[in-house]
Amino acid sequence: MSASLEDLLNMEPEEIWKRNERPTPDQIRSKQQIYYEDIEEGLELPKYIYKPTPTHLFRWSAAIENFHRIHYDLDFGLNHDKNPSILVHGSWKQSVVPQFLKDWVAPTGWPWKARFEHRAMLVPGDVLIMWGIVTGKEEKSGMGIVELDIGMKTHDGVESMPGSATVVLPLRNGPPIPYPFVAPIS
Amino acid sequence: MTQQTESALTPEVKAMIGVSGEIVESWGVVDLEYSRRFTQAVMDPDPMYWDEEYAKQSKYGELTTPPIMVSYMSSRVPPGEPDVVTQAFEDNPMSDGIGDVHKHGELPPVPTNLVRVLNAGNELELYRYPSIGDKIKFQNRYSDIRERVGRDGKPFLIITRETTYWNQGDEVLCITRASTIRR
Repeated sequence: MSASLEDLLNMEPEEIWKRNERPTPDQIRSKQQIYYEDIEEGLELPKYIYKPTPTHLFRWSAAIENFHRIHYDLDFGLNHDKNPSILVHGSWKQSVVPQFLKDWVAPTGWPWKARFEHRAMLVPGDVLIMWGIVTGKEEKSGMGIVELDIGMKTHDGVESMPGSATVVLPLRNGPPIPYPFVAPIS
Repeated sequence: MTQQTESALTPEVKAMIGVSGEIVESWGVVDLEYSRRFTQAVMDPDPMYWDEEYAKQSKYGELTTPPIMVSYMSSRVPPGEPDVVTQAFEDNPMSDGIGDVHKHGELPPVPTNLVRVLNAGNELELYRYPSIGDKIKFQNRYSDIRERVGRDGKPFLIITRETTYWNQGDEVLCITRASTIRR
């Protein structure tokens, strides 16, 4: 059973890691559509748990060609920038957000918008919890517009990326969500 | 008597709101190998990115790629141009690895003497998944510059840079906004 964010934050890091709900390819293939009518305010999205290591950070730097040494050169990070370690990339956190939203609204909903701040320095050894909670819903132009609060907390409860998002779910008997996505008329 | 603090939002700074860079074509195309490296690095195993049979039967009818993956293509240095990494360390042996390299499509600097830069946040708007083979164009724009006053009574600026990404058919794929604080 899915643990609430509050429950996760009362667990030891290794216990949090065991509650990771990032889907496998087969789980994505067999995912059933969530409809607008199925959700209500306060619903928590599945939690995505990460345990970044220096190798994960290096892989991300290489993938996006980000050569900033604070992400892979420990000596530079400690002694030049006076950081506590090498730092998890803001760009990686930013790229987790659309994945997290896309997976929840799949296969036919749309991860429309997100906004967030980068507040805390994340380092290897942190266990990270990507979370989301429904804060509101509204039907517009035949689409189910759902508002979320989102964030990425460390295992000890520090919020590193407070933000919000807007996703679109189909109505149970409604038209398909347009693709390419067309924003509803306000 | 309180001292009048000079505004950081000068007419010259205000004039930067709406200023756009040139439209630039990213080097290369959206390809499967870049998608593989990117999705493995972000740890997203979605079969929409690699299982053609599954993707064909989906709403999208073809393989897709992560929506903001294209935003990192904009910093690619085309082959044949000077080696930016070597240049960064030539300029400064203690370079942070980025250096002071001119990027294609970069905006002119905001004329302010506030030099300390802090990340204030990001926004994403998604409209279409990039397809394999897409050629990507992008354009930067100062979409907003606001002034705030810190707890120390000193004014600072929040500068928002908006970047729009299109495919070869001029369809908007996504819009990103990055806000920075200048103190």
